[in-house]
Amino acid sequence: MGVVKRISGCVATATAVKLADVDVICSYPIRPYTGIMSELARMVADGELDAEFVYGEGEHGQLSVVYGASASGARTFTGSSGVGVTYAMEVYSPISGERLPVQMAIADRTLDPPGDFGSEHTDALCCRDQGWIQGWAATPQEALDMTLMYYRIGEDPRVLLPQYACQDGYFVSHILGEVDIPEAAKVKEFLPPYKNHHVLDVRTPQIIGAQMEPKMGPGMQYQRYQAIEGSRKVIEEVHDEFGRLFGRKYNPWVEEFMTDDAEVALFIQGGHAETAKTVVRRLRNLGEKVGLVRLRTFRPFPTQQVRDALSKFKVVGTVDNSVNFGISGAAGVLLTEARTAMYGMGDKIPTVGFVAGLGGEMITHDEFYKMFMKLKEIAKAGKADKENYWLPFEL
Amino acid sequence: MLEEIKSLRKAPEEEYYVPGHRTCAGCGPALQYRLVAKAAGPNTIFLGPTGCMYVANTSYGCGPWAVPWIHTQITNGGAVASGIEAAYKAIIRKKKTDAEFPNIIVMAGDGGSSDIGLQALSAAFYRGHNILFIAYDNESYANTGIQTSPTTPYGAWTTFSPAGPVIPEGKKLMPKDLPKMMAHGHPELKYLATASLSYPLDLMNKVRKGLNAEGPAFLYIHAPCPKGWSFPADKTIEMGKLAVETGMFQLYELHEGQYKLTYQPKEIKPVEEYIKLQGRFSHLQPEHIQKLQQFANGRLKEVGIEVSVPAQ
Repeated sequence: MGVVKRISGCVATATAVKLADVDVICSYPIRPYTGIMSELARMVADGELDAEFVYGEGEHGQLSVVYGASASGARTFTGSSGVGVTYAMEVYSPISGERLPVQMAIADRTLDPPGDFGSEHTDALCCRDQGWIQGWAATPQEALDMTLMYYRIGEDPRVLLPQYACQDGYFVSHILGEVDIPEAAKVKEFLPPYKNHHVLDVRTPQIIGAQMEPKMGPGMQYQRYQAIEGSRKVIEEVHDEFGRLFGRKYNPWVEEFMTDDAEVALFIQGGHAETAKTVVRRLRNLGEKVGLVRLRTFRPFPTQQVRDALSKFKVVGTVDNSVNFGISGAAGVLLTEARTAMYGMGDKIPTVGFVAGLGGEMITHDEFYKMFMKLKEIAKAGKADKENYWLPFEL
Repeated sequence: MLEEIKSLRKAPEEEYYVPGHRTCAGCGPALQYRLVAKAAGPNTIFLGPTGCMYVANTSYGCGPWAVPWIHTQITNGGAVASGIEAAYKAIIRKKKTDAEFPNIIVMAGDGGSSDIGLQALSAAFYRGHNILFIAYDNESYANTGIQTSPTTPYGAWTTFSPAGPVIPEGKKLMPKDLPKMMAHGHPELKYLATASLSYPLDLMNKVRKGLNAEGPAFLYIHAPCPKGWSFPADKTIEMGKLAVETGMFQLYELHEGQYKLTYQPKEIKPVEEYIKLQGRFSHLQPEHIQKLQQFANGRLKEVGIEVSVPAQ
């Protein structure tokens, strides 16, 4: 039987890494994800986890170490936050290009400026199109479950792709939540040891990462495209099996909260959704027809599922916790992705973008309340006077 | 344990770096690669940071190795090697493989070792991974069309250090001494040596010593480049010899804290004899050549070779 403990997102992730019997871990300190690594270092020192714990010389080095380790057949783990995530940028495409299923935890942090320790999704979103599976956990429980499911998805021979398992810095990584920790034997059944026949082994010599000529390029990129598109089916299968084995059933793509008969809804990802849910509940108590759709998997983007979820509302507001200066719609990437998913319905269903919680500020109940009131106002008027609102300045 | 090769005739016949690549005629890095692979043998994994030995070897998606090879970025040969080593340690210990621990050899150019790859190289040696890191020095970023690197000699023409009326000598800076940087300050270092493709027996035995060492080993191999240095393709071996005979390159090793000169020329020749054969130095004036002579004399003195050619 599993046990229930009150632990942080960091400890939940580290616990999952231990349960996954990871072979090589590469660390480098940067707040707030550091908590995951110090917990893993303790587990290795105490003999709870048998793994090589390599002190990376920086995030670029971290990703390079797991690139080599994964290519040699090891299950690997690394992680980072903020500018650490962007410092490693060079290595993300080679990892997915060589189809190495490494896992990286990202506990979000702002880039510089402002350089504070607060959470902002900008770091992880900078690397969103590199051929990695990516999604956000909203609670420590989800962080643990996501780590286990992502290894299983990424290592599936039909997928073989790396994964960014993201959680909001502090709001998830450092806040305690009740976590049901599964037993090791059951995890082993769900996640058998990593097997890949395309590894660096002198008994089966092969060349990994040879330089291609331009005419070979389209085929190579097409394969990576097919891998991430093909992962959709595997993502669904793995979530189903996880639900059957551990009793926690997740919709892999979107979580709908009080969306039945809702007229307006927010579209959001990550831990701020938990705050927003409280506001939804209160407004529902007051008779307001509001709801919330939380995106769980960001890459591959569930275009059809988002379209299905959002097309039943009169107005949709997206909540972007990232900066995307100069982007179409002038808000954030969730707005553009939601609009793309809803293409053809734009006239019928106005979408507006809210940019909030930047620099690690929390998004308050009051701010979510204002967003819902704005959506109601737009629903009544039939159109928006403006396509984006930067909080707290414009709302 | 790899045994000492007693003579060139007794070197293994098997090749693990085979024909079928697109390096230039007379390519020094390719010649030394063949010797390294021969000495290392079949239980070897090569890593190729971006550079000539990646681009010219793997064009069209194929490569000339009979052993596993993996590309790394030009930045991270040391880090990827660390990951391979850590993986093998873990999966052997945890009985997830029945493979033997392999020789792990990084084949990095001078840029991928002394410049953009320095951080990853130094970190791998600090951490004590059991790898052999080879820096093959052809003294420029050659694959991108000959640009200066930290090991490009003073006075050499490159496309980033052209000679002109304002800068008559071309490259104004003295080269970085990477072996010296590696020898001091990495407490886990187990073996370090310099070698030249013109001294093949010495080179192969240094590869074996490096691989036999239980921990990080560093080998710095001088590898003349006909294209980058502008000399005829049949003069590569001669150029390597002249570099050693003029004191522009020294052959030594550092083992268990002791430096040892592994080859001492009978007579030191003037630097001019080496540089006059290379187009990259053709613009130099006597005062520039004197500076190069001073540089060579300084390096010779450092390793304990008597300086016999005066510099003004």
